[in-house]
Amino acid sequence: MTVTFDAQSLPELQNQQIAHPWRKKPPIFTLSVILATVIPLAIVALVYVGTDIPGAVVMTVVYFPLQMIASGIAAFATRGKRGIADSIIIVNAIGATLFSLIILISVIGSLIIRGISALSLHFLYQNNVYVSPSTPLEYGGIGHAVIGTLLIVGISTLIAVPIGVATAIYITEVRGRAVPYVRFFVQSMAGVPSVVAGLFILTIIVATGAFSQGAFAGGLAYAILMLPTVARTAEEVLKLVPEDLRTGALALGSTRARTVFKVVLPAARTGIITAIILGIARVIGETAPLLLAAGSVDSTVLNPFGGPIASIPTYIFNNVALPYPDAVARAWASALVLLVLVAILFVLARIFGRGRLSSK
Amino acid sequence: MEMIDVENAEGIEVLETQMEKAQSSAPTEIEMSSRELSVWFGKRKVLEGVNIDFPKKSVTALIGPSGCGKSTFIRTLNRLHELIPGAALAGSVLYEGRDIYDRDVDPVQIRLKIGMVFQKPNPFPSMTIRGNVLSGLKLSGMKRSNHDDIVEETLTAAGLWTEVKDRLGAAAGELSGGQAQRLVIARALAVQPHVLLMDEPCSALDPASTLKIEETIRELSKDVTIIIVTHNMQQAVRVSDYTAFFLAAENEPGHVVEQGLTTEIFGNPQDQRTLDYVNGRFG
Repeated sequence: MTVTFDAQSLPELQNQQIAHPWRKKPPIFTLSVILATVIPLAIVALVYVGTDIPGAVVMTVVYFPLQMIASGIAAFATRGKRGIADSIIIVNAIGATLFSLIILISVIGSLIIRGISALSLHFLYQNNVYVSPSTPLEYGGIGHAVIGTLLIVGISTLIAVPIGVATAIYITEVRGRAVPYVRFFVQSMAGVPSVVAGLFILTIIVATGAFSQGAFAGGLAYAILMLPTVARTAEEVLKLVPEDLRTGALALGSTRARTVFKVVLPAARTGIITAIILGIARVIGETAPLLLAAGSVDSTVLNPFGGPIASIPTYIFNNVALPYPDAVARAWASALVLLVLVAILFVLARIFGRGRLSSK
Repeated sequence: MEMIDVENAEGIEVLETQMEKAQSSAPTEIEMSSRELSVWFGKRKVLEGVNIDFPKKSVTALIGPSGCGKSTFIRTLNRLHELIPGAALAGSVLYEGRDIYDRDVDPVQIRLKIGMVFQKPNPFPSMTIRGNVLSGLKLSGMKRSNHDDIVEETLTAAGLWTEVKDRLGAAAGELSGGQAQRLVIARALAVQPHVLLMDEPCSALDPASTLKIEETIRELSKDVTIIIVTHNMQQAVRVSDYTAFFLAAENEPGHVVEQGLTTEIFGNPQDQRTLDYVNGRFG
């Protein structure tokens, strides 16, 4: 049995126009959207101009509820009762997104506004040896603190990442008897205040004379803080590796160790890199442990065991409360540098994480 | 109508060659066998008293309704069962004249000789196509020279060579489901197993890929002993020399109802339940 089509009844495929039938909205829809946007904004503008109520209060107490009501009415007008709940959720979602964006932008904005005057090329590589808080901004920089921070974070990464990943492997791959206890300890460790980590290293490492204050001791303190973040995140990503891959490898006559190192970890590579990034992000701004374990100096120190070393957080701490505007500007500029440093690390990690093969 | 006739004719032909093979090679040499094998998950007994002999270089199909313990059974044959927490087992699995569950047997060595292909294709996503084929050598530490030859040989045996020979360096994730499953078969073959276990290897595949894999199975059975779990009765008829029918009553462990030559099980079953099952009256 065959069905034949009349050539005339077929749609003219060659002359088809691109269309978006689902986008067609009735005029009342456009009108109500405009009204629901304009009316609350107009009322808020009037309230803000006509009264002394601060802007933030106007936005949260007047604008936000007003917008919800207006959107609710508009939704009711166009879609009926069921549209109201929808519109309230959408307004809340957009509001929450805007709120967090505003916070983020104002943080970055205030860093730029207050720090830009101190920012210059020499600020990035010079050290602080012949600079006092009252020295003009043409001299001095935080090169020594950038090097110190990188050194300390590098040391803590070298210590915390292998231990953290090994802990995650114990929990997800070895699945030994002690798993509940190990997990409990890792979780408790995440609750250790950073100043306690610094004090711990100060008493155990520095006060006993094992090592002096410096990059190594600071790195140890950071490692204590970094370890639980790395271990927990790595555990989560290893759990996401399909069980099929493990049994597949074992069925090929692989040992447990080879399965972990040649199949499971490569499959979780992007996730492990994320774990490392999160660990670094967790510690890089911590000040208290470095004040105790690493100290602070004005000169450039490259030897991890060579005595007190500068770092960006301690530099900010030392300068931000001084009664000299230039010192305060330097502190803000350093905070900006720290932020950019973290951003660079994130981008690098993403690039390395992508790798040769697209791992799904 | 013509199509169906051709299919039937082919089916009969396959059955005939199987019968010839079965008769000519008697008495058959046994590659491996299970003896009074019972399996538990925690306190729940899922298999009871399974005795099956797997003749060398033949295909044995394990059939039966869902939940009767076929997949569990096949996983006891290369000691993958014990990886599941709470798993337990009694009885023995004999291979090369000894029980693979003996205290001094290394499960890694067993799995090297008794390979497995799973229900869902599981190529290693972090490796290339070539890397996947050779992964068994890398993972087991087995030394074999001439990797290029191995890649071509095993991919040809798995019926994938012509499709991938120009992109061996591509990521394994780019392959379709059917191709990935054949890649996994090639991967299993690269370590030269004596036995290949297949747990519903075609259940996630389209008919064309299924046909290709069935051809591969027939071809492989010249060199390797194959044990295949399948839900597809036509598939069991098409590919297997021997069949074992598993069944589990409600809340009772599964057991083997009937086993023997595939031609017998499908053509002249002795048990009423087997007759009903192979004729599609339940399950």
